[in-house]
Amino acid sequence: MTGAAAIGIQRFLVIYLLLLVVLALMKRSKISQTKLLLTASLRMTVQLVIAGFLLTYIFENPHPLFTAAYLFAMMGFAVHRVLSKNRDLNTGFKISIGLSLSFSGLAVLVYFVAAVVNQSLFNPQYVIPLSGMIFGNAMTGVSLGVKSFRENTASAKERMEALLNFGVSPKNILLPFVNQALETAILPTLNSMVGMGIVSLPGMMTGQILSGTLPTTAILYQISIMVAICTVVCLSVFGSLHFGYHTLYNKRSQFCRLGGLLTGTGCGDEKSGAGTGREK
Amino acid sequence: MTEALRISSLAFMDTIFYPDMEVQPGEIVFLLGASGSGKSSLLRLINGTISPSGGSVFYNGKDILDYDPLHLRSEIILVGQSAYLFPGTVRENFLQYHQYRESVPPDEETMGACLAACRVPFSPDMSCDTLSGGEKQRVFLSVALSFRPKVFLLDEPTSALDRPTAEELMKNLTEYCRSGKIAAVIVSHDRHLIDMFADRTLDLGGAAS
Repeated sequence: MTGAAAIGIQRFLVIYLLLLVVLALMKRSKISQTKLLLTASLRMTVQLVIAGFLLTYIFENPHPLFTAAYLFAMMGFAVHRVLSKNRDLNTGFKISIGLSLSFSGLAVLVYFVAAVVNQSLFNPQYVIPLSGMIFGNAMTGVSLGVKSFRENTASAKERMEALLNFGVSPKNILLPFVNQALETAILPTLNSMVGMGIVSLPGMMTGQILSGTLPTTAILYQISIMVAICTVVCLSVFGSLHFGYHTLYNKRSQFCRLGGLLTGTGCGDEKSGAGTGREK
Repeated sequence: MTEALRISSLAFMDTIFYPDMEVQPGEIVFLLGASGSGKSSLLRLINGTISPSGGSVFYNGKDILDYDPLHLRSEIILVGQSAYLFPGTVRENFLQYHQYRESVPPDEETMGACLAACRVPFSPDMSCDTLSGGEKQRVFLSVALSFRPKVFLLDEPTSALDRPTAEELMKNLTEYCRSGKIAAVIVSHDRHLIDMFADRTLDLGGAAS
């Protein structure tokens, strides 16, 4: 096995020509996202170039602080991305998402690096790429889970109101939506596991094979990372929604607003004024 | 005798201020008022699904804040304007609602009696997916009735019904409430029904400013 063939800058630039095909098809289909295509391509290029230089520096000058800083930056970005799409969630729900995503990611990463790969927790060569995959997938899973939960509760206002009026606890009302959202969030990961090796050779394995790793070693890494991704998605979505949904009702079993999706009034951090009513 | 319900200096969001009132067990009170006058909100304040900004609601002489909210709502049942039924048959709806509430579902006889009282003319094995708006409303009311409420709060229960069916339904419901000493507070815009069945009316007037 040999390492990946080096690509010269001129040859590398040829790949951008493919974007002209995308651009042409978008124009023909009247998809007015040309600006997004250009911005996305530019951002991806700049971000990856910076990451490349940064990683080169960190690998040449390994220090636990650098590894930890990179790791926390990724973690912070993942949490920020999820929360930026859900700005109107209450503070408690946001904290649930932030903590669940961070702790699930860290726990799975530590288990993977220490127990499976048997490397130092500060070895940048392992910790940084693995945490990228772990936090990236957790971020997508939590985004999908929260989106599904919000959409499903929004479209079930009548059902939720009827159940609440009949004396059903908010917990019993919301739990089916939590379970449904968890299923929605983990299904893409499970489906990709089903097709893996047949429909596609995944990115990590492809990268390892291109860089000269034996395919038999590459598959062990790939299987391990897929199991880790499945676990982190499940854990982070479960934690975000299970801790989060408790923030949607108060001790009088009244619903609070979830970005205007739930109909009730009466929780502490609302502006409606209803929650400022007398309580015992 | 202690009144079933009493509201005192009640206000919602400091924009709607309700007149004080009492409802005796077995009494049928109709609420009137323009849209936005706070009729539906009053029903929700009484069963505690929203909180007032001032004043109190008393149930059997005790402030509702002294009750466990779920216990309160298991006795003061509110049937809202929109009738929600789960996909499936009428029987499955009874089972599902009771399962959610963790209560014992009604036996066949009780289920039949509730359906008959609400003028539901078909079998419990009928699918709810094909029911008309009025039929859904009556099945929904039957389910509410099967919870054996102590106070019944009904928000426009006949809005989707024709006049004869509405009259029959209200006749059965009011008889059921009077004989069982169940206090009922009913929102309705139908003057005819109000004249026929109200023991008392409470006019909340125009919309809140």
